[in-house]
Amino acid sequence: MTSATSQSLAVEDFNQRGAAAAPARKFYGETLLELARQDPRIVCLTADLTLSTETDLFRDALPGRFHQVGIAEANMIGLAGGMARSGEIPFVHSFCVFATRRCYDQIAMQVAYPNLPVKIVGVIPGLTTMLGVSHQAIDDVALMRALPNMTAIEPSGPAAVPAAVRAALAHDGPVYLRLKRADGTEAGIVAEEGALPLGRMRVLRTPGEGLLLACGMMVEASLAAAEILAAEGLTVGVADVPTLKPLDPAIAEIATGLRAVVTAENHSIIGGLGSAVAELLMEAGVRTGFRRVGVRDVFAEGGTTPYLFARYGLTAEAIAQAYRDARGGG
Amino acid sequence: MLDDGRGDRQPARRVRDPAELAGIALRLRRKVIDLVAPTGQGYVQQGLGAADLFAVLYFAELRLDPADQDWVSRDRLLLSTAHNTAIFYATLAERGLVPTDAIADYCKDGSAFEVNASERVGTVIEATCGSLGQGLSVGIGMALAARRRQDGARVYVVLGDGELQEGQVWEAALLAGSLGLDNLCLLIDDNRMQVEGHVDAVVKLEPIAGKFASFGWAQEAVDGHDIPALLAALDRARTTPGRPSCLVVRTLPGKGVPALEGILAHNLKLPDDVAAMARKALAMESHP
Repeated sequence: MTSATSQSLAVEDFNQRGAAAAPARKFYGETLLELARQDPRIVCLTADLTLSTETDLFRDALPGRFHQVGIAEANMIGLAGGMARSGEIPFVHSFCVFATRRCYDQIAMQVAYPNLPVKIVGVIPGLTTMLGVSHQAIDDVALMRALPNMTAIEPSGPAAVPAAVRAALAHDGPVYLRLKRADGTEAGIVAEEGALPLGRMRVLRTPGEGLLLACGMMVEASLAAAEILAAEGLTVGVADVPTLKPLDPAIAEIATGLRAVVTAENHSIIGGLGSAVAELLMEAGVRTGFRRVGVRDVFAEGGTTPYLFARYGLTAEAIAQAYRDARGGG
Repeated sequence: MLDDGRGDRQPARRVRDPAELAGIALRLRRKVIDLVAPTGQGYVQQGLGAADLFAVLYFAELRLDPADQDWVSRDRLLLSTAHNTAIFYATLAERGLVPTDAIADYCKDGSAFEVNASERVGTVIEATCGSLGQGLSVGIGMALAARRRQDGARVYVVLGDGELQEGQVWEAALLAGSLGLDNLCLLIDDNRMQVEGHVDAVVKLEPIAGKFASFGWAQEAVDGHDIPALLAALDRARTTPGRPSCLVVRTLPGKGVPALEGILAHNLKLPDDVAAMARKALAMESHP
């Protein structure tokens, strides 16, 4: 029998059913701590979600630069603004939805307008939680994209997190970092080598007649969709778009002449990657078939991630079908 | 001379003489009228009401260096009620922190001296507030950074009393009390006035000092027109260890212009004849 202590029975995350294992690697927390040891300007703020945001590593190693502010995200953002104005580089942490929508005006006025080096780090993107609609961030990218000066990054998975954190720090300005943690269900993840250049897509599979553009967890689904389509004789490329703002202008070039482009994101189809790509392609005069895969302007509910992704159309098959629709017959 | 860890650097003369401070406040009141008159309406009542407080803060209390405004160990003042700019800009100009001729463009298109103070003016606007309820949070961040630097810098935040209706203020107040942030001083400009009139007619606030006491703050109520009392209260705040301090500064809207005193107008019409009357009253007011 498991001994009943607060350590042995405390759940670190709420993404899956049952006694979730702790992640084998805390890619985010390890990287932040490594960077903070090198850069004394980095300070860490959390709003009662230290374990869930992997900032326990920072708390234990650098307690003098760790600030537990309680369940008060708006206040946390204000603090971060004041610290950044004092020469520090604050990393603030919460679930994606509370790190953005809960404190939007504070981010606009105390972070984005003054263009301060505050790094807003959210975990639990999109529909990846059983905690329900209150905890699901389906509009966070839209909100952050709408703010002048803001950069928005969503790495493709836990292995891509370290490079994303380094890129966020290296950028001298506000950044929203949208992270899906490793949650113990993955095995054998190794951090990706190499940098994450901001504002650049990463072509994972060279386009044939079409292209799938994806971010975050939908990158893996898009690669699977490309396989499905390849089996049908349709050759489509896949690109990971980790920087949602600024969007890579080269997307317009690579899309030119393609039969169809499909975007895929664990986010509303409004305001995120799909919207950004559509805006870019229209203004660049690129004529191509086009579909967006994402949460289709509805609120969801709590559930396991595979259930929710199937229910709300965030699957490889949904992406493949969107591509078939986008390219049309013949 | 204050021994607050910042060595011998004393960027500007501290005015501690109440009569001299009263004279400065009178000049500030005149400037409030001069700044608002061209627009014909503005934040006159709050400006006249807070003139003594601003004179004491900027001429007696804050350690600032007009010649080096980015001095890292300076004291910070955040005007969370960022619309109260007539008195704010008048004070900054009088203190030599912004050019006097530049504030003459107050509220003109293209001027950095907007109705709501923004950092377009420069470092001396320590944060762009305007959206009410945010200044105390930013101040806490600065106070924590100063605590880490251990350079003795203090942070002063001016909030309006009506602004206390914003929930974020209480998130911040709770945290500052919990942290025992004794390099933080909150000044509540208790003028009883908000857009829709008397604060009690909108949402009652009393007991303000008692609320902060229960949040772990040192607190006291001060007559905002009693300059020796303001000086003494700020001295106590500066020397109270282990707790942030909150001064509930009772101010009278329109103070110094008898015909305007007590008129609750968030935004006051200031046609030429009223401005002339105000100038006359302020010119006649005697002081040493």
